[in-house]
Amino acid sequence: MMDANEREVYRAAIHGDRDAFEMIIRTYSRTLFAIAYGILQNREEAEDAVQDALIKAWKSRWRVRDPEKFPAWLCMIARHRARDVFRKHPTTPLSGEITEQIESEAIDTTSLDRQLHSALAGLPEVHRSALMLRYFDEMDYRTIENTLGLTNGALRGILGRALAAMRKQLRPALASFEQP
Amino acid sequence: MTIHDDIDNYLAADLYNELSEQEERALHTHLIECAACRKVHQESKIMNKVLEEKFAREKPDSAFEERMLAGFRDRIPQRTASIAKLIVDLMRLRSAQIVAVAALLLALVQVGRVITGEGKAVSRDREYIALGQPAAQPAQTSLPSVNEVGALSKPESRAKEADRLAAGKPFGRGQVAASAGHQVETEDKKLEPAEAERGIATRSNIPTAEEAGPNLAASPDSALANRKLVRNAQVEIEIASFDEAVQKITAFANEERGYVATTSSEKQANGKLKGEIVVKVLPENLDRFLQKIRGLGELKNQTLGTEDVTKAYFDTDARLKNARVMEQRLIDMLKTKTGKVSDLLQVEKELGRVREGIEKMQGELKYWDSQVQFATVMIALAEKDLEEPATFLVKERAQLALYAPDVEKVYNDIKGLASQKVQITNAQLDRDYSGRVSGHVGMLIAPEESDAVMGRVKGFGRVENFQGQTERIAQGGRGMSENARTERDKVELNVTISREEQEQAFQQTSLQIRASSVDEKAKQLHALTEKQNGRVRSSSFSRDPNGREFANISLRVAMKNYPALMQSLNSLGRVENVSVQRQDRTGAQIEEANAPADISIQIYSQGNIVSSETGLMATLRHTLAQGVAALMWSLRMIGVALAFLAPWAIAIVAIVWIAKRIARARRSKS
Repeated sequence: MMDANEREVYRAAIHGDRDAFEMIIRTYSRTLFAIAYGILQNREEAEDAVQDALIKAWKSRWRVRDPEKFPAWLCMIARHRARDVFRKHPTTPLSGEITEQIESEAIDTTSLDRQLHSALAGLPEVHRSALMLRYFDEMDYRTIENTLGLTNGALRGILGRALAAMRKQLRPALASFEQP
Repeated sequence: MTIHDDIDNYLAADLYNELSEQEERALHTHLIECAACRKVHQESKIMNKVLEEKFAREKPDSAFEERMLAGFRDRIPQRTASIAKLIVDLMRLRSAQIVAVAALLLALVQVGRVITGEGKAVSRDREYIALGQPAAQPAQTSLPSVNEVGALSKPESRAKEADRLAAGKPFGRGQVAASAGHQVETEDKKLEPAEAERGIATRSNIPTAEEAGPNLAASPDSALANRKLVRNAQVEIEIASFDEAVQKITAFANEERGYVATTSSEKQANGKLKGEIVVKVLPENLDRFLQKIRGLGELKNQTLGTEDVTKAYFDTDARLKNARVMEQRLIDMLKTKTGKVSDLLQVEKELGRVREGIEKMQGELKYWDSQVQFATVMIALAEKDLEEPATFLVKERAQLALYAPDVEKVYNDIKGLASQKVQITNAQLDRDYSGRVSGHVGMLIAPEESDAVMGRVKGFGRVENFQGQTERIAQGGRGMSENARTERDKVELNVTISREEQEQAFQQTSLQIRASSVDEKAKQLHALTEKQNGRVRSSSFSRDPNGREFANISLRVAMKNYPALMQSLNSLGRVENVSVQRQDRTGAQIEEANAPADISIQIYSQGNIVSSETGLMATLRHTLAQGVAALMWSLRMIGVALAFLAPWAIAIVAIVWIAKRIARARRSKS
């Protein structure tokens, strides 16, 4: 399942090999970002959460006994961290500053963005995370399932439902989008 | 489940290229057929596009990973991390843990060393300062710190002194001793304390510190010299000859630049010498000196001790300095002040008190100096076989038991032996309620008279149980000695006098003699006993109904007459059932010939052939008596039978009589 090389890297990281851990940061930070973003819906916050999660992972790396479970464990830490952050301002995921940023960046798509946001916010966390992994990381189903710790084949239903739910919510906006 | 029902999942999978070829074909076929699904498909594609666009914007930029890494490195610095890692990894190993503990202990030891080392460094600095001052102005300064120069008998100060000696300044020993002796008076004359103190160092009339100086200076580890260490040793040696050993020890002491301080010896009763020598040697040479004296004889015991008086020494030193300052102040006061006489007296008094304190402290320092400068070795010497006894005292003790017919006479006779050489220590005559008399006499006899006196005492009665005991007591030592004299002590004699009767028989014999006329034979036996010098102790006579007669006689005769008496018994009749019991008392010295033998004799006769119980009349009487008895018995039985049957017979007769009367009455009616 996991090749020996990869395994060795995880093992080294657990035993405190900094280079190995940095390699893991390179490989996994995007995935972790996707997960955090799925929860927080905010780039900056997600980035911070990932950063915090990585630090925490380094400090408590000795807790992982099986190197194979290292990626899943990393994801779990990121998820917990993101949730902690989210809980601090559960009602307004967008702070004023960020809103400004978004507005300045994409003025024309603001309304669609907002709708997208709310549609995404309405999805269960797992669905969101799955979508992010798909769009940010372009992972295949199998990898997403592994990363999120889902059973074989469950993702197909999850993504199907997620897309269907979003489609329903965004139908009016999409219709307007289609015409031009 | 059809594709139509599952269209959402299919479409999603289609968007993400997760459909198998077969599924893809099936989906496309369905999309062609189903308009609704086609619409959904269209929407999905648009939405996917929107989402892709949206997330492409939100996607972390290419520098994201670098940022994460930078953040990580920033928050977890490499160095500490690596050290922490190293420590964490190391601490996993058992050996590393042990090493860590060992290192910790070593570190503690090192810290301790540093602390004590610092102490040394400080005292050395002090010494330096102290040395600097006298070098500048050695003559007139009376600063207390100068004190220290002499007190710390340092190589430097000795070297200085040696220089002064070389310069021709007379500094002879005698003079020094004098200065030490007059120190109390010179105190007032402001004699420089340094010199006075040096006087202490050179006080002794034997090899001094100056002579030993090079030796001390040569030793590189003079760090120890900064400390005031009092070294002592106690050695116990067994030697062959005391005088020779003393000579050797003196020679050794001189070799090691020491001296013999005191010698004491004691002559034992057996001519052996024992004593103690106190030797003072330089502490550096102590070990070598001990090594040497070990060769003198057999080392019995050795104790080496070191006492560190550094702290106490310097404490006293500091107090002395203070006292000096105080003294100076008081003197100044006396000089300048012109106050009331009472005030001056007060100052004078205080000055006296302070001076007394100074003298005491100086004395203390002197003592310590002497103790430090020379190690004290106490050698206890004892010649071999010190324990050998000088004389042996032979003590004789004798126990004598006498039996005599007249106790009182013998008792008085023995008492009459008393003279200059025979002393009666105790005499006692007991008479109990049954009239038995016994006496005890204890006496001490001069050794030359003992045999004669004992012979006489033995003649007073029959000797039983003479016990002699001789004891050799070693005087002034233990064990054996070939040379020791032997002396005889007074002989202690204890005599017990008892009446002969009370003496236990040496031999007991019992026998029976059958004779026709018992009475006559008993008389003959009495005569025989008399003839053999025996005594009849008891006799009894009895006769039983059958006419048999018994005479029991017990008599006592001397052992020497016993066989003759036994022989003569045969003339009385047939001797039967002889049993002899002899008591061999072990350990008792018995004069067997005169020892008493007890014989108890039973003389008995056969009696009548027909006893009075078996005569004709007796038989008749018995028969009659039995007949009467049988008659009486049958009478009793009849009585019993009557009592048994009578009630029934009476009842039957009564019934029959009544029946007849009834029958008769009926007949008369009819």
